[in-house]
Amino acid sequence: MALKTPEEFRQSIADLHLQIYMFGEKVDDYVNHPVIRPSINCIAMTYELARLPEYEDLMLATSHLTGKKVNRFTHIHQSTDDLSKKVKMQRLLGQKTGSCFQRCVGMDAINALYSVTYETDQARGTQYHERFKNYVQYLQDNDLVADGAMTDPKGDRGLAPHQQPDPDMYLHVVERRDDGIVVRGAKAHQTGACNSHEIIVMPTVAMREGDEDYAVSFSCPANAEGVTYIYGRQSCDTRKLEGNDLDIGNAQFGGQEALMVFDDVFVPWDRVFLCGEIEFSGALVERFAGFHRQSYGGCKVGVGDVLIGAAATAADMNGAAKASHIKDKLIEMTHLNETLFSCGLACSYEGVRMPAGNYQIDMLLANVCKQNITRFPYEIARLAEDIAGGLMVTMPSAQDLADEKIGPIVEKYLVGQCDTPVIDRMRILRLVENLTLGTAAVGYRTESMHGAGSPQAQRIMIARQSNINHKKELAKALAGVGKPWDKGKIKVPTAVSAD
Amino acid sequence: MTEEQQAEPVRRVKVVYCGGCNPHIDRSAVADALPADDPDVGPGATVHLSGCPRACASDHLLIMPRSEDDVRGAAGTPHSSDDPPVVVVAGELVDGVPTPAPELAPTITRKLKE
Repeated sequence: MALKTPEEFRQSIADLHLQIYMFGEKVDDYVNHPVIRPSINCIAMTYELARLPEYEDLMLATSHLTGKKVNRFTHIHQSTDDLSKKVKMQRLLGQKTGSCFQRCVGMDAINALYSVTYETDQARGTQYHERFKNYVQYLQDNDLVADGAMTDPKGDRGLAPHQQPDPDMYLHVVERRDDGIVVRGAKAHQTGACNSHEIIVMPTVAMREGDEDYAVSFSCPANAEGVTYIYGRQSCDTRKLEGNDLDIGNAQFGGQEALMVFDDVFVPWDRVFLCGEIEFSGALVERFAGFHRQSYGGCKVGVGDVLIGAAATAADMNGAAKASHIKDKLIEMTHLNETLFSCGLACSYEGVRMPAGNYQIDMLLANVCKQNITRFPYEIARLAEDIAGGLMVTMPSAQDLADEKIGPIVEKYLVGQCDTPVIDRMRILRLVENLTLGTAAVGYRTESMHGAGSPQAQRIMIARQSNINHKKELAKALAGVGKPWDKGKIKVPTAVSAD
Repeated sequence: MTEEQQAEPVRRVKVVYCGGCNPHIDRSAVADALPADDPDVGPGATVHLSGCPRACASDHLLIMPRSEDDVRGAAGTPHSSDDPPVVVVAGELVDGVPTPAPELAPTITRKLKE
């Protein structure tokens, strides 16, 4: 078994010497950069938990390719049990990190590509599936992190990829050679890109005739020549540069996004999984999105657990925990959070075995899951802010608390429940701020809205699978629509005697 | 047993239905359109007929695995020619391939004879 230790993972990422830019400067020691390090800690947690026997049931799976134990993040789901354990693993990691732990996109990419490469081969006589299975085994054998790169910048949304004035608005093939292809373009919002050993590129929309160069899927090392990362800003990110952990809220962990640029990157044929077969790009997009919409029914729930816990602790520290409205708000937060979990599990339990042999979630329920994710975390965050109180956004800084003259004043006036040290009250309020307004809000709020597709994308999928005609027939049958009406049988109701 | 009942052909295709909670297709109509006594359909032929893509009639399998290798997920494992034919219908999917509702019965019949 080749499971990496967290330390081996950190070193392996450092050894890649990725081309990362932040605040207009190239970042060389990115694994130790204070803004980036918390996100690396998140993925390190996926390695750490996998080595602990008490988490093995969720964190490890048995590879169908080799029969060996592998990290579940590199696993091809072989049952509905695998699908539900994936969701539970994601909840666990959301709880342990309180942020986006980033390794899901690669897992969802390999599971989508597994069935699409098989079906492409069946229909077109191509050889994608066998080479893709070899690639999955490479990920498993070396316990690697893969970034699933789907979202193109897209330019003018009213134009097809091949109609864009700038052809690089969608990543595309610029050259086909005997030994491989050369690609150019970019992928936006790439979660965990700077923490990954590998990149798996997929098209971002269903392609049409004329878009053949854009219907491309492949993998390449994260440090392939021509790949550059421009690190995304997060709300309050520079607090991580202030040298104290208090005002960050969650000093250990955080998410990460980047704009990933491909400047004429060469990809050998054995790493190409789709190239010009436009009719399969839509299925790949839908399946990846489906798996990722399932994912949110686990990861966001785990982060929700942390936020509910933070709000409840803040209530304790404010001395307000016994108020009935506080208890009721915590119940409501829990109800919303568990509803999301229910959706994640439901689409897993109703999953199906694909002709390729892997298991796929129920698409309708996965889209319902994500549609709820676009709403419920916002309400959970609103209730957390309600319970925490305004102090979470008006508190003096850590520098003020540490100041010889100002510090005692801050300490005097920030007292809450009598037994609670002020520093602890400040810590928990900063955690609520981090999750609702700070760096982690990128993952918990806006990513809940737009990650794995914006709300309208789910509504289109829900409409397509809603089986509305069946519902109409049910209603018509019960209402008697179409039945002849005999007016002669109508009677005036008669009163029943009280006797 | 009446003479009329005795005259009914013996159905050579076994149909396994799902529970029918969310039918995207008319399962009864599909079953009725299957060959009743076609000699080209071998004995033991089975159709798992689910109304929607959740494939409950086949225990969530979109295509029936025939060998231990296939159960483990090695896609493309050839089915044994000795096995009786088994076709999985899950809404507008036949053995995992999208198939419009009017084409379901002809497609199933063709696969049963393969």
